[in-house]
Formats: sequence, C-alpha cells, structure tokens
Amino acid sequence: MSHTANRDRRIAAVFLIPAIVVLFATTIYPMLYALWLSFRNYDLAKPFIPRIFVGLANYAEVLTSKAFFHALITTFKLMAMTLSAQLVLGVGIALLVSQKLPGMALARTLLLIPMMISPVIVGLVWLFLYFPELGYLNYFLGLVGIGPVPWISSTQWALTAIAIGDIWQWTPFIMMGTAAALQSLSPEPYEAARIDGNSRWDVFRYVTLPQLKPVLVSLLFLRAIDAFKIYDIIFVLTKGGPADATEVISLYIYRQSFTFWRMGVGAAASFVSLIIISVLITLFFKQMQRGQAARAR
Amino acid sequence: MTPSLREKFLTYLLVIIILVVFMTPIYLILVSSLKPSPIMFSRPPRFIFTPTLQNYYDLFTMRPFHLQILNSLLVALGSTAFSLTIGTMAAYAVSRIKHRRINDVAFWILSMRMFPPIAVVVPYYIIFKTMGLLDTPLALIIVYSTFNIPLTVWLMKGFFDEVPEALEEAAQVDGHGVIATFFRVTLPLTAPGLAVSAVFCFIFSWNEFLFALMLTGSKSQTVTVAVMSFWSSDAVQWGRIMAGSFVILIPGVIFVLTCQRWLVKGLTMGSVKG
Repeated sequence: MSHTANRDRRIAAVFLIPAIVVLFATTIYPMLYALWLSFRNYDLAKPFIPRIFVGLANYAEVLTSKAFFHALITTFKLMAMTLSAQLVLGVGIALLVSQKLPGMALARTLLLIPMMISPVIVGLVWLFLYFPELGYLNYFLGLVGIGPVPWISSTQWALTAIAIGDIWQWTPFIMMGTAAALQSLSPEPYEAARIDGNSRWDVFRYVTLPQLKPVLVSLLFLRAIDAFKIYDIIFVLTKGGPADATEVISLYIYRQSFTFWRMGVGAAASFVSLIIISVLITLFFKQMQRGQAARAR
Repeated sequence: MTPSLREKFLTYLLVIIILVVFMTPIYLILVSSLKPSPIMFSRPPRFIFTPTLQNYYDLFTMRPFHLQILNSLLVALGSTAFSLTIGTMAAYAVSRIKHRRINDVAFWILSMRMFPPIAVVVPYYIIFKTMGLLDTPLALIIVYSTFNIPLTVWLMKGFFDEVPEALEEAAQVDGHGVIATFFRVTLPLTAPGLAVSAVFCFIFSWNEFLFALMLTGSKSQTVTVAVMSFWSSDAVQWGRIMAGSFVILIPGVIFVLTCQRWLVKGLTMGSVKG
C-alpha cells in the first residue's frame, strides 16, 4: 500500500502538477478576475473613473433586469427547440443508416461533416441561405408555394432560423452517438422480441430505446452544455436581434461588456451563468460516473 | 430481419433525402466560391456555369489571406504542441494514480473545458492588455490550450487505461524509473491516441472564432475572423466569403473522411463508447 502511495505521489508530482498549474493560471485565474470585476464599477469607456468597489450592486442590477431574464429564457427556449429536434432526427437517422445495407457506412461518414465545420462558417452559409430578398431558401420554398419567410429580419422567425442552423450542425452528433451505441447492443433481446411477433415500433419502444437511454442522456447533456454557450452562429446571423429576439446569455454578456463597456455588469452576468452551467456540468458528471460504474460491473 | 425490397427502396429514398438536406449547405459553399459575382444571386439559382477562380484570386490578393492562414496555423500548431505535452502527462497521471480522489481531479480538469468562453473573454482581454499580449499569437495559444488540455487528458486517459500495467512493471523490474518507463514503454503504445488528440486540438483551434475576434487585431488575425470581416464591409463580398469558408472547412472535412471512427470518442469525452 505505501509503495503504491509513494508511486502515486511521484507520478503526480512529475505528470499531473504541470497541467494543474497551467489550468489554474489560464482558467481559474481569469474566473477569479471576473469575480473581482463583478464587484466593481469597471467602465472601459470611462477610464478615469476610479474602479470602485460596489458590493453586490452589479448582481442586483443583473438579477432584477428584464433583459437578463429575457436572455435566460431565450437561451432555454433555443435549447429546448434544438435539443428536441436533434434528439428525434438524430435517433431516427441513426436507425436508418445503421442498417446493414451497402452504402450506409458512407452515408454515416458524410453526415458527420457539419460538426467539424467552424460555427462561423455555419453561420455564414445559413446567412447566405436566409438572406432577405436574395437568399436561396425562400426561392426554393417559393417554388412549392411557401413564403417568403422573413427568416432573420423578423422577431417572430429569427430564433427558429438560428435553431435550424444549430440543428443542421449538431443533429449528426446525436446520430453518431446513437449509431455507436446501436452497434454495441446485444442481439438476444431482439431475437426474443421478434419471435414473439412484435411490431417494429414495439421492438424499438420496449427493447431498443431503454438500452439507448443512458447514452442519449449523456449526449443530451453535452448538447445542453453547448447550447447554453451558443454564441458564434447568433453573432453571425442576427447579433442578438431583431430587437432582442435572439439575445441569449452570451450575447447579453457581450453587449454589456463590449457595446456598453460595463465590464462589471458583464462579469456579474458571467458569474451567474457560470453557476447555472455548473449545475448542468455536475449533473452530466454524475451521469458519466454512473455509466463508468455500470461498465466496470 | 431481412428488409423487403420495398423497405430497402424506402430506406434508400429517405437516406438520399437526408444526405441532400445535410450536404446542400456545404455544396453551396463550394459552388458559390467558384461563381462569378454577377450571377451569385441570379433567379433561378444557377448551378451550371463556367467556374472561375476569381474569388480565390481576390481572397489572396485584395487581403493578406495567406498571412491569416499562417497566423491560424501558428496558433493551432502552437496550442496543439503545448496541450499535447501537458495534457498527455496529466492523462498518464490520471490513468495510473490509484488514489480514490483522482477521479475528482479528472472531472475538475474536464469541467474547465465546459465553461462558457464569453464569461472569461473580458478578464482575458484585460489581462492580455496589461501583459502586452493583445493581438499576438501567444495569447490565442494560451487561451486555446485551456480547451485543448482537458480534451487531451480525457482522450489520452482512455488510451493509457488500455496499456497493461504489467508491461510497465516489467520495465521497472529491469531498472527503468517511472519517467523512463513512460517514455520508452507506454508512450509509444499510445501513438494513435496522440495523433487523434493532436488532430482534435488542431481543428478546434483552427475553427475557433469568439476569442480570435476579441483578442486579435490586424497583426495576428486568424482565418475565421478574416472571413467574417468580408461581411462587415459596405458591400458583402459573398464570393470571397465563400472562397474563404471553403479554405477553412478543408481540414475538418479531411479529418472526418479519414478518422471518423475517432469522432465519437473525441466529441463525447468518452461518455459514449465508440
């Protein structure tokens, strides 16, 4: 035992300490700096005003501001839209392309491409498609008698437009994870279910889905964490507008910090969002540990 | 269940529709990048035309896009090298240490990757400003490493877990120390893991936008910010935007086509078996 402990200590000293030091300096320190900022009246536009300690005033402002809650609600609305669509489409597509038919492996591979594209490029290509007057999307929808839809220029459609871009990029993520999980399912329950003469839907509902559930929960947590941070695609498509229709948390923080130069308020909002995402991350880790334990058994 | 002919037909029909929907935006980037600007938005949209490289020519002559590519390469390679070194070592520690709290350390490291970038942009901006690092590649190398180190730790941990410890013990019996064993025995066995981690770090850095936008100026501008800047000019130069976009998406597409079986591991942090 003491031998192991000694060895542990040696490995930790040589191998682990550098990473911990680097992460402290590059992540924890900026976060603490944000915390410090959040208690100050730090206005970059007025450099000569002393950066005085204002206590909880920034937090009070954030937590009582309509704009912040609107941003929070918009974030969760967008999350609900994208996650539900990605779940249904992703699982559906995974079931289709997981069949043992020629060409399906290629289809699976091609469908992964959107994930590896820079979110700015995703934003730009959808901007190209949505563009008022010129965009291709309304032209093709017009051919089948729909529209024109004011995708990014109306408060009613803008959030949907962003959701579509995100759904396009990240449905493949659910598809990929589900397809990987489908491959590792054991065949026995299927044979039993088939012998019993169940319909396909019943087999999926009562045999496949329960087995997929832990994987799907993990995938959705990862998507939720990402959806909470969404920024790039909105920055490109609408910059939070029209009005405040697509102003999610990230855009709210951006606007406070870089449009109004109120760094203290931005930092306070950042900290509130850090707390919210910590909850998501903790829940995800719990889920992951449960998965690890189940695999170890 | 052998699918009937009708089922096969339906499956292929659906898969083709799905592929068309998901591939169209990518196809549009390529086609539009080769399109002369006068017919960019012609009605009906034209998909058959004499392709031109004018947009690519403009991209590299009217703007120093090659310098921006170099900036992006420098930042991405720098961050990849740094993260791989630090992250691989930490991954080894996390994989080998038996202490019961080591899992908490691993999760703490992973959590560093999951916090919203926007929350730390302002502190980074102020810190780098005081250090005189604004608009330098070094600033982005540091920032991207905060994402790439946790990624490397989790990817490499999986690979180290699979190297039998008996091999290391044998080497230690032969008189090698912990460090020598790591470099001579363990590390060579995880070469594929190193390659995959490196590619992931590279792509994430290459694709990143928010930090690059906030922390760089004209000197160290990266490709993603450069392409976005064609948009903010008076007239939107769609041709150049599409040409630049196509250049940017090349590494990611090559990665998917060559190592798609690693994507599951890399994108789910090992929470889904690939």
